Amino acid sequence: MKLESALRPPAGGPGPGGAGRSPEEPEPSAEKRFLRHGMMPHMLCPGCGHGIVFEAMLRALAGRYESLDEVAFVAGIGCSSRVVGYVDACTLHTTHGRPLTFATGLKLARPELTVVVVTGDGDGLSIGGNHLIHAARRNVDLTCVLFNNEIYGMTGGQLAPTTITGAYTSTSPAGNAESPFDAARLVEAAGATFVARAQSYRPRDFEELFLRALDHKGFSFVEVMTDCTEYFGRTNRLGNGADLLFSQARMEPEIDADLAGRPTLKQLAAKPVRPVLEMGVLHESNRGTLEEAMHLLGARS
Amino acid sequence: MRAGRAGREPVPGGAQASPPSGNLVVAGVGGQGVILASNLISQVLLDAGYDVKKSEVHGMSQRGGTVVSHVRFGPEVHSVMLEPGAADWIVAFEWEEGLRALSYLKPDGVALVSTERRIPPAAMLDHRDLTLDYAGLGEVPPGVVAVDTFAVAGDAAAAAPVVAQTVLIGALSRLLAFSSESWQEAIALWVPPKALAANLTAFERGRALFTDAGAAGAAATAPHGASAAGASSGGGALDGAALSPEGALAGLVPTLRIERSWCKGCEICVAVCPERCLVLDNLDVAVLAHPQRCTGCELCAWLCPDLAIDVGLVRAAGLAGRPS
Repeated sequence: MKLESALRPPAGGPGPGGAGRSPEEPEPSAEKRFLRHGMMPHMLCPGCGHGIVFEAMLRALAGRYESLDEVAFVAGIGCSSRVVGYVDACTLHTTHGRPLTFATGLKLARPELTVVVVTGDGDGLSIGGNHLIHAARRNVDLTCVLFNNEIYGMTGGQLAPTTITGAYTSTSPAGNAESPFDAARLVEAAGATFVARAQSYRPRDFEELFLRALDHKGFSFVEVMTDCTEYFGRTNRLGNGADLLFSQARMEPEIDADLAGRPTLKQLAAKPVRPVLEMGVLHESNRGTLEEAMHLLGARS
Repeated sequence: MRAGRAGREPVPGGAQASPPSGNLVVAGVGGQGVILASNLISQVLLDAGYDVKKSEVHGMSQRGGTVVSHVRFGPEVHSVMLEPGAADWIVAFEWEEGLRALSYLKPDGVALVSTERRIPPAAMLDHRDLTLDYAGLGEVPPGVVAVDTFAVAGDAAAAAPVVAQTVLIGALSRLLAFSSESWQEAIALWVPPKALAANLTAFERGRALFTDAGAAGAAATAPHGASAAGASSGGGALDGAALSPEGALAGLVPTLRIERSWCKGCEICVAVCPERCLVLDNLDVAVLAHPQRCTGCELCAWLCPDLAIDVGLVRAAGLAGRPS
């Protein structure tokens, strides 16, 4: 398929063959105009939380931008990083673990761009862990969204540095003996000036945090907890995408009562599920950005 | 192509109580139990005293890719692999995979092919109706039998759809006519205990396909997908009382736009809808089964990982004109 045709939505809106919609169907949502329609449907597995977060990002951007020509998405390698291939913005799909280095260079060369880095827990914390802390230390004016699904999904469900203790993965068949990273706290300690955490269960909250992160001057970091259904969910027998999604809110009484009726999550106490995490803005401060220190003109103010 | 109807068909190819040797191909896609089924068949053959060799290809099985297993048995088996045209029996758990495996069938061989259809992710883009009639594709060996495994299995497959494929094992047990007990023992050995009862029921219904009249439901000739998308997609009569007050005032009602070619059938929308409006149709695609209950809350759209759902207001008259 030629690139041009891959970028344009087919005539009559997205859909098989661009066939005209029947009159009783509503218009596609505003965020759909930022999709590379020729690339859809995306490659994520059924029920993958990344898709929910991806759509929430697009929705947040759709409320703010007419076009994404001045927005650059930079991603590394992994399931999470693949989502930038579906957004009709300036996109860079870079080497494993290094999206922040590419993004730093891009931001310094083109300070007027809004640069969003999409990375995953393996890409951002393991392979590119070093780059993450140094990007935070330098306080480059970037927005980094880290999709944390606690596993290496793309390569076959191996242990990630965020895998919770006790969880089964393809490389921890007896259960993970290690302690996981707290990505948000790590980045905060490294010097990030905006740190937030969200979950795929609450995409509207994520949208708000994402917009605040975009507004923030300096290195802003949003960790978003998502679910890997095919590897994490299945290996740990946690049920399907809906089960995993509901388990994110299990501390809430009404959700908890509903969970009791979901057979796969009945003995949740005995399952390796992630602990209840603090959500929302975890840290916010202000200090000079790298662009300011380098006296680059045109830096976003 | 012929279709097996309960109790009306003679055993195709004739029952073979103790063949001197033979070759089987078990084909399907990831998650259908192809490996388990070939283990189970091998178990029966081993218990009968044969030398058995089995091999399998399951590269992309976790993403719904092809899984195929070769089983060879006889007094002594040297090679694990079959040549095309060497299989006495084919058991295919998926319609297109059955077609792919047909090149292995001997001219007088028998292929038991499930009419279950799994559209591969790469083909989801167009959601073409991939219904193929084998007869339209040229030379098809006479021993190809289509079995609507879901219809035959009936309630046995209600809890776990994969159990439906055991129907084919039951049918195979008429061709490879070792004792029913030896098949049941192999099933008990290989199937998880909690699913054993359902599997044995499906096995018996599959066995009944070629003999006992009336023991099983009729097996249809058409593969899944040949029929319309299901009654659920048609929608019901518009219930004006259930409309949201604001929408009703403006003459508008909330409804969904579901991009069928993007939906991967994860069931999240079905689970999160507070009004239980959505169901999956027989192609595992979400449909708004109860449009009159939809309040336009947008939960399904927000939580759809495939970006397949849009919520909007349409004129109520448009909905009322929808065929029911």
